[in-house]
Formats: sequence, structure tokens, C-alpha cells
Amino acid sequence: MMTQMGAPRSNPSEGPAAALAGAALTLARRFAAGATMWCVAPQWPSHARHVAVEFVHPVIVGKRALPACSLEGEEAERALRLLARPGDILLLVAPADDAGAANLLSRAEAWGLTRLWLGTGQRPAPSRADHLVWTDTREPELAPYSGDLVLLYHLLWELTHVVFEHPGLLTPDSVCTEVCITCSDEGRVAEVRALLGSGMVEVVAEGKHETVDASLVDPVAPGDLLLIHAGVALTALAGDRS
Amino acid sequence: MSSEPTGFLYPFIEAEERDGTTLLVDLARSADAKIIESEYLRAASLQGCEELLEEAGSSMASRFAAGGRLFAFGNGGSATDAEGTVQLFRDPPYGRALPALSLVDDRAVLTALANDVGFELVFSRQLIAHARPGDIAVGFSTSGDSLNVLRGLEEAARRQLLPIGLCGYEGSAMALSDAVAHCLVVRSESVHRIQEAQAALTLRLWSVVQRRLDERRRP
Repeated sequence: MMTQMGAPRSNPSEGPAAALAGAALTLARRFAAGATMWCVAPQWPSHARHVAVEFVHPVIVGKRALPACSLEGEEAERALRLLARPGDILLLVAPADDAGAANLLSRAEAWGLTRLWLGTGQRPAPSRADHLVWTDTREPELAPYSGDLVLLYHLLWELTHVVFEHPGLLTPDSVCTEVCITCSDEGRVAEVRALLGSGMVEVVAEGKHETVDASLVDPVAPGDLLLIHAGVALTALAGDRS
Repeated sequence: MSSEPTGFLYPFIEAEERDGTTLLVDLARSADAKIIESEYLRAASLQGCEELLEEAGSSMASRFAAGGRLFAFGNGGSATDAEGTVQLFRDPPYGRALPALSLVDDRAVLTALANDVGFELVFSRQLIAHARPGDIAVGFSTSGDSLNVLRGLEEAARRQLLPIGLCGYEGSAMALSDAVAHCLVVRSESVHRIQEAQAALTLRLWSVVQRRLDERRRP
């Protein structure tokens, strides 16, 4: 993903500060490019609403209002399929074992969204999101109520607005220094949109529509997730891929 | 954040700035400082409110034991804090589930009241409809000056509910209100740090309630 370039991942052994810095740089760049941030917290919907209101209605007078919107867990997948545009941001607040979050993260990859995942407790694999912002707490099950999770997205908002004070940094690095997934031999996640007959299907991968040969994984249905490579669907992926 | 202009750190702020490395280091350093500030304020608030939390939690436990319910409300981020509080009481990770209702959830009721009688009355009017003596009202306002939260707590007092307020900034209207039985004040002027500390205070309130209810059950 393009968003993995330019911003370092944090060292998991440290606190969330470096991860927050990287995530804030990416967020500011995406917003500057016209992105909307979609906020989902399947188990704690109030956190999704809290993040969204921070960005839309800043507590500090004079800071720019940014397009953020919260969606309820169950409606999120259908709504995002229709509303989210490639380059938008998906911000999830969820524990590592949340099946709904895993499902959305897989689809967000196909839809071409930048994925930010905020959480606490056991860490997910780093590859599951473009930015993992994780906090360690003594009682992870209480973190949603202790102020620990709120602190993470408050800081994300604060740092994002600091980045806006640096207009020269708001355009992503023009030179691709890492190997993009598209340029490599790796398969890409795609979501089936329509069956075209003779094993051919229309899919969305990295936010773009394309036609692939799915005869190896037949039968497929709209909404299924596939791993595709060079115009061929290699295998079906479970929705939650967890 | 409001009192922290960062411009002086970056004398080179120009559109030509291209290397984000310095900025990332500064952002991380700033985040670390704010994390420490938040943890300190949360600890200081818990310590400063220790007796109040014990008193308020005990009164809440008595009311829950007698069939009372909790109503929570606030605006914006504080509305989500009210929602989170209701989730904690009603669907806790452990302990007993308790009856709690958020007065910010029903958009039909909220918009009807705001449109017809004014936003100042959106919580008090709901309490008039729902509340019974013996219930509990928890109002969140970082400024301590939100009129609808104050009106809600005043209505709660009139109806023999237990009115509990959470606010920041010393000397706010909420902190000075006679209607509020227990006012938990976070001594900070940063809205974000106040909200983080309010979460910690609410969690502690919940744990006092759980402990008191356990004690009541034992002979």
C-alpha cells in the first residue's frame, strides 16, 4: 500500500508515540488529498463517534474541520462499500480478536482505503493495517473506559493538526522507495462485485475495478474476497481472515 | 494543546520543507509528553476526588440496590462519554450489570426537543418523562458550563434523583451549583486531558459501586 511508505512503523516494544506520529503524518496527507475518515468501533460504538466529532468539530477554535464520520458496526460494511472512495481512511477502534474489525480491514484493502487500527491488549499482526496504534494497559478489558483509548485518538487529532502546520510535508514522497505490493509478486485482496460468466468476475482491488478469471475458485458470489494475481483469482479468502 | 504553539520549534516552516524525519521525531516526543501529562492528571484527579468517589459510589450503590436506574448525558465528546458510561454499567467486562440509559441516544427525541423547546432543555425534558425518585443522573461537561447539562442536573435534584456532575476547570457553573450532590472536578484547562481524566473518574466510580454492592450482598 502506498501509505506504508514515508511513515515509519513503531517499535512494538515502545509506547504508542512513534506509531501515533507516523499515523498522524499519513492522516494529514490523506486529508490534504481530499480523504474522508470513516470511524468504526464494533464493540464500543461511542469511541467511533468520539473520534469523528473530534475531527469534524475541533475543540480548539480555528482548527480546520475535517471530514470524519462514524458508522455502526453492522451497517459499516454495506455503507462503506457504497460511500468510501479509494484513498479514504478507515479508522478502527477494536481489540485484536474482533472478527468484525478483521473483516472490514480485509475489505478496506480491496477498496483502496488507508487502514488505521487503534487498540489495546494483545497486538494483531503488523500487516493487518497500514498503521497499528496500540497501547499497553494492565487491564485491557477496562481500557475502553479508563481514558487509555480516548488518549490515543485525542493525540492522533492533536498531532494531525501539527502536521498541517507543515504544508511542505503534506504531499506524499514522490519517489517510491519501497516495493509496492502492486509491483511485486504478492497477491492482492479483491472483492467480487459481479459475475460475468465463463468463470470471469468483476472485482475491486486497491479501489480499482478489474476483470479476473475466477475459474480456479468457482463458485464465487458478489461480496466474496479473493486473492488475485496477474488477472487470476488464486484462492478465496474468509471474510474475517483472522 | 491550546496553549502550545509549536511554531517556534520549526523556524524552517516553509512550503519547501520536504523531509518529514525531524517532524516525526518531534511529534513522537510531543506524544510522549502528553501521555505522561494525561497519566499524571488521571492519577491526581483520582487522588483528589478519592473521598467524593467513595461517597458518590456508595450512594449510587444504595440506589441501585433499591431499584434505581442511571441516566447519563453530555454534549459532543461528553455525549460519547455518557454513552460509554452506560455501556460500562450495563454491559461491564466483569461484575454485575446495572440499569443505565443514555439520554443522547435517541435522535428522534433529541431533535424533537431541540427543535420544539430548545437545546437547553433536551436532557431535563427527558428526565421529566423517565426519572423517578431514587434514580441517578450523571452529567458530563468539560467546561462545566453546558446549559443543557446544568438544567438536567437541576431537574434531577428537583425529582429526588442523585445528581452527579463531572467537569473540568475550577469555578465553573457546575462546580458551584447547589443542585449537584457530588461534583467531580478535573483541574486542567485542556479539554482532551479533562475528558481522559473524567473517564478514569467514571471507571473508579463504577468500581466503587461494584464493591459496595458486593459488600451489601455479604452478611
